[in-house]
Amino acid sequence: MLEVRELTRTFGDLRAVDGVTFDVRPGMMTGFVGGNGAGKTTTMRMIMGVLGITSGEVRWDGRPITMVDRRRFGYMPEERGLYPKQPVLDQLIYLGQLGGMTAASARAAAMEHLERFGLADRAKEHVEKLSLGNQQRVQITAAVMRQPICLILDEPFSGLDPLAVDSMADLLRQHTSRGVPVLFSSHQLDLVDRLCDRLVILNKGRVVGAGTREELESTGTVRHRLTVNGDAGWVRDLPGIHVVDVEGPTALLEIIQPGAEQQLLRTAVSRGELREFTPIRPTLSEIYREVTQ
Amino acid sequence: MNAHKMSNAWALVARREILVKLTNKAFIIGTVITVVLIGGFLGWTAYTEERTSTYDLVTLSEEAEMGQAVAAAAPVLDDSVIVEARTVPDDDTARAAVADGEADGYLHRSGAGWVLTTETDEGELLRVVQQAVRAAVIDQQARDLGTTAAELEAGSVVSPEFLVGDAEQAGLAQGVGFVMALLFFMAALMYGMQIANSVVEEKQSRIVEIIATSIPVRHLLAGKVIGNTVMAILQIVLYVGVGLIGLSFTPYSSFLPALGAPVAWFLVFFAAGFIALACLWAVAGSLASRVEDLQSTSAPLTYLVMGVYFAGFLLSGTAKVIASFIPPLSAVMMPIRILEGDVPLWQPILALVLMLLFAAVTIVIGERLYRRSLLQSGGRVSLKQAWSTTE
Repeated sequence: MLEVRELTRTFGDLRAVDGVTFDVRPGMMTGFVGGNGAGKTTTMRMIMGVLGITSGEVRWDGRPITMVDRRRFGYMPEERGLYPKQPVLDQLIYLGQLGGMTAASARAAAMEHLERFGLADRAKEHVEKLSLGNQQRVQITAAVMRQPICLILDEPFSGLDPLAVDSMADLLRQHTSRGVPVLFSSHQLDLVDRLCDRLVILNKGRVVGAGTREELESTGTVRHRLTVNGDAGWVRDLPGIHVVDVEGPTALLEIIQPGAEQQLLRTAVSRGELREFTPIRPTLSEIYREVTQ
Repeated sequence: MNAHKMSNAWALVARREILVKLTNKAFIIGTVITVVLIGGFLGWTAYTEERTSTYDLVTLSEEAEMGQAVAAAAPVLDDSVIVEARTVPDDDTARAAVADGEADGYLHRSGAGWVLTTETDEGELLRVVQQAVRAAVIDQQARDLGTTAAELEAGSVVSPEFLVGDAEQAGLAQGVGFVMALLFFMAALMYGMQIANSVVEEKQSRIVEIIATSIPVRHLLAGKVIGNTVMAILQIVLYVGVGLIGLSFTPYSSFLPALGAPVAWFLVFFAAGFIALACLWAVAGSLASRVEDLQSTSAPLTYLVMGVYFAGFLLSGTAKVIASFIPPLSAVMMPIRILEGDVPLWQPILALVLMLLFAAVTIVIGERLYRRSLLQSGGRVSLKQAWSTTE
C-alpha cells in the first residue's frame, strides 16, 4: 500500500500542497481529482521523488519509500515524456533497460503492448509521427511494460477518444487485478466516477474528501425525495428535517437529525398518503462541488 | 531492479547518445562533407604545388642569348615554372604571336632596359623573367668591370635566424595551430550546444522525470557527457587522420614526423578539455526550461569557447606561456607551443594535470547544479537557485 502522510510542498510563499494525507490501496484504482492548480501534479511528483518534499512523507509497505521502491513504480508524467525523434520501439526498449529489464524482455514486453494497442506496425516510426492519442499509448506502455509494483499516472485519459479510454481502463484493471495500487489524476469527473474504486479530492492543496464513493456520499448531505398524495406542504412542520423545496405532492428534504425520517414516514403513512420515499444519489460533480466549496 | 544493473546505467545512456548521433542524418552528412572538404583542400594544395606551368617565350634572333638565359634560370628560380625560348624574325611577328596566344611573352630590349610584352598579366612569368634578366645583366656588367656578380654581392645577403625552431617549423606551427584551435572551437561549440539541447529536450518533454525515477541523475549526466565525448573524439580523430593522410600527398609530407607528438598531445588535451566543458554545457541545458531559454543560459559558455579559440592565435610571448597552463585555454595553447618546439616535457604534463583538476572540479560542480536544476520546471533557473535549492 502507498501511504501519503501530511505531504507539504511550498514554492516561496505558496503552499501548493498542504498537509495531504491519503492511501492508495492494493488492487484498487484511486482517482485523484481536483481543479487546475489543486496540487495533483505536485503531489504525484513528490510521490515519485522528482520533486523535493518540504515536509511529510511517502510510505510504501509500511516504511518510508526509497528510490529502489520508486524504481519499480510505473510513472506517467503530465507532459507526454518521450523522445520525439526516436523510433517508438527503440525508446521503449531503452526505458525498459533503464528500469532494469534486459533488452530482450523489454523488446518482448514493448511489442506485446504495441500489438495490444494496434501499433505494432508502427514500432519503427519516430514518435513525433504518431497522433497524440497514439503517443499516449506508447507512454502508458513505458509505464506498465515492466510489471510495476505501483502505478502513478498523471492525466492518463486526457485527449483519448471513448474507445481508447476503455482499452486504457482495461489495461489498468489488468494491473489492479494482480494487486497493484493505481493512482491516476483526472479532471473528467464522469470518467473517474465510472472507473475508480476510491477517490481523493484535492482543493487548493488540501484533501477535501477521500474514500469510496459511498463513504464520500455519507460524509456529504444526503437528500431524500418524498412523494405523497395531495400537497406535501405539511412536512415543513416536522422537527429535524430541512425542507429544500416543496412542489405540489413532492418534497426535497435533508434529514438533519438522525431518526427524524422515521417520524416523517410514520406521519406520512398515518395520513395514508405515502407513495415514494427515496434517497437521491448525488452525482460525483455534486459531491465535488459540495466538498470544494 | 538490482544493484548491478543500476551501476551501469550510465553506459546505457552513453550508448543511446552515440546511437542517436550515428542515426542522425544531419550528423552523418555534416561529417562526410567535412571529410570531403579536408580531403579536397589538401588535394587541391597538392595539385597546385606539384603543377608546373610551361611558358613559351619569344625573342628576336639577335636577343636569343637572353631568352636562353631566362629558360636556363627559370627552374632554379621557381620549381613550378618552365620557360621555353624560341626566336622570331621580327617585332611584328613576335607581337602577333603573343596576341594570338601562340606565345606567352615577348622579351625585347627597349631603351636602356628590357620589356616583357604579354597579352594580359602573367605574374609568374614576369617574376621569373625579371630575376633572370637582372642576374644576367648584373653578371655581364660585372664582367665588363673585371669582377664577378658574386664578388659584387658579397656581404649583402640577409639570412633568417630563429631563436625558437626554424622558419619552416614556425610557419607550420602557425598553420597547424590555427587548425587545432578551429577544431576545438567547432567541436566544443557544436557538441556543447547538442548536449545542452538534448538536456533541455528531455526536461521539456518531462521524459527526464521517467528517467530520474529509474536511474540516479548522476548516471544520466555521466552517460551524456561520456557518449558525446566519445563521439567528439572519434570525429576529431577522423578529421585529423584524413588531414594527416592528405598531407602526406602534398609537398609538406616532410613535416609529418614533426607533427606526430603535438597532434597526440592535442588529442589528449582535447579529451580532457572537452569533458570539462561538456559538464558545463549540460548544466546550461538543465538551467533552461525550454529550448528558447538556451540562448541565455549557454551564453557564458559560448564566450568561453570563443575566448579559447581567439587566444589560439592572438596571444604571444609570456601571455602565451602562461595561457598554456590555464585550463581550458591550455587545450589549444599547450599543443601549439609543443608544435613550435623546445617545450620541456614537464610543462605539458603539468598543464594536463591542471586540466584534469579543472575537469574534476567542473564535474563535481556541474553534477550538483545539474541534479538540482534538472527537475525544476517552469522558467529559467538561476545558478544561485540551482546551487542552493533543496533536493
